[in-house]
Amino acid sequence: MDRPIKTIQDKNSYLDLRKQERVTLLEILDRALEKGVVISGDIVISVADVDLVYLGLKVLLSSVETMEHLRGAPMAGAQEGPT
Amino acid sequence: MRIYAYGIIDFHNRLEEPIEGLEGKGIYNVSYRDIGVTVSELNEETKEITDTCILEHEKVVERLMIKFTVLPMRFLTVFNTQEDLLSMVGFYYEDFKNNLERLRNKVEFGIKVIWPTDTIKQRIINAWNKSNHSLSIPADSKAKSFLKEKFKQQQIEKEFQEEANRCIAVVDDYFNKIAVEKKLKKLQTENLLLNASYLVDKDRQNEFKQAFEQLKNAPSDLKFLFSGPWPCYNFITLTKKPASVDYFNTEDMLNRLLAQQGFAKERNAV
Repeated sequence: MDRPIKTIQDKNSYLDLRKQERVTLLEILDRALEKGVVISGDIVISVADVDLVYLGLKVLLSSVETMEHLRGAPMAGAQEGPT
Repeated sequence: MRIYAYGIIDFHNRLEEPIEGLEGKGIYNVSYRDIGVTVSELNEETKEITDTCILEHEKVVERLMIKFTVLPMRFLTVFNTQEDLLSMVGFYYEDFKNNLERLRNKVEFGIKVIWPTDTIKQRIINAWNKSNHSLSIPADSKAKSFLKEKFKQQQIEKEFQEEANRCIAVVDDYFNKIAVEKKLKKLQTENLLLNASYLVDKDRQNEFKQAFEQLKNAPSDLKFLFSGPWPCYNFITLTKKPASVDYFNTEDMLNRLLAQQGFAKERNAV
């Protein structure tokens, strides 16, 4: 069930593939970072794990950046087609 | 060797199809009674983890969705040992069973609706000015002028919220009868009028997509971002409270880190 990235269409412009990928990434982030089975117990990567700090920031900043694109004029008409 | 968990599935036997997970490791199924947890091994030392990892996580879940009902784990759920993993599944077993039953043959769709905030507000202001023109009394003091302006702002904001409710109701009406469940988030930002997730029977996916086509083609100044079908991330409900608090809370930690680095505003804006 891979979700091929479809052309995002806008009345005035065609977005390049990179932007489409980032919109898709944002959609995944919206779900996988905060939703799903969120449990506790003997999980997980410890808070002291410095490397994961970088992981978090990277992923999150990508999210912020994508959202900025989404809110900007060029992507205001963005529409990702159903697959 | 730690264990990375991708999802809970309604299957407790060995996976027949090879699936590659994080770090190129093979996915296998850890059974507990009549359900299973799909996992892969994770190296002790943390490698550089990039956006790609979250895509890989998602890819595994979607592969599993083809054959099974899947409760996707939140990204970055890792166990130190298999005993820890089984202990967790035992603790949540009833919840997992109920969710697997409820979400069987269901998928999730996402719809984001963006509206032209400035245009909407200007329209409201114009209407307010027009309707209150005859009632307007010249402000003869700074205090009155201030109060008048304050009152106007409140009324405009109230109308803005009501207009948002009306628009959301119109959008939701296209999908309400098709979806089994829904989660609607209003105005997470001023521009993002609606961030909606709909739970839909697999058999009705096309109907749902057609409804979106109708919505998209209806005359309006709204913009849409439609995505799906997704694993049912937004519709998993666990009734049991966590057994302990020593888990890695991605959201809390990220917020804390962002605050330290001065990114809090950006995060909140999103």
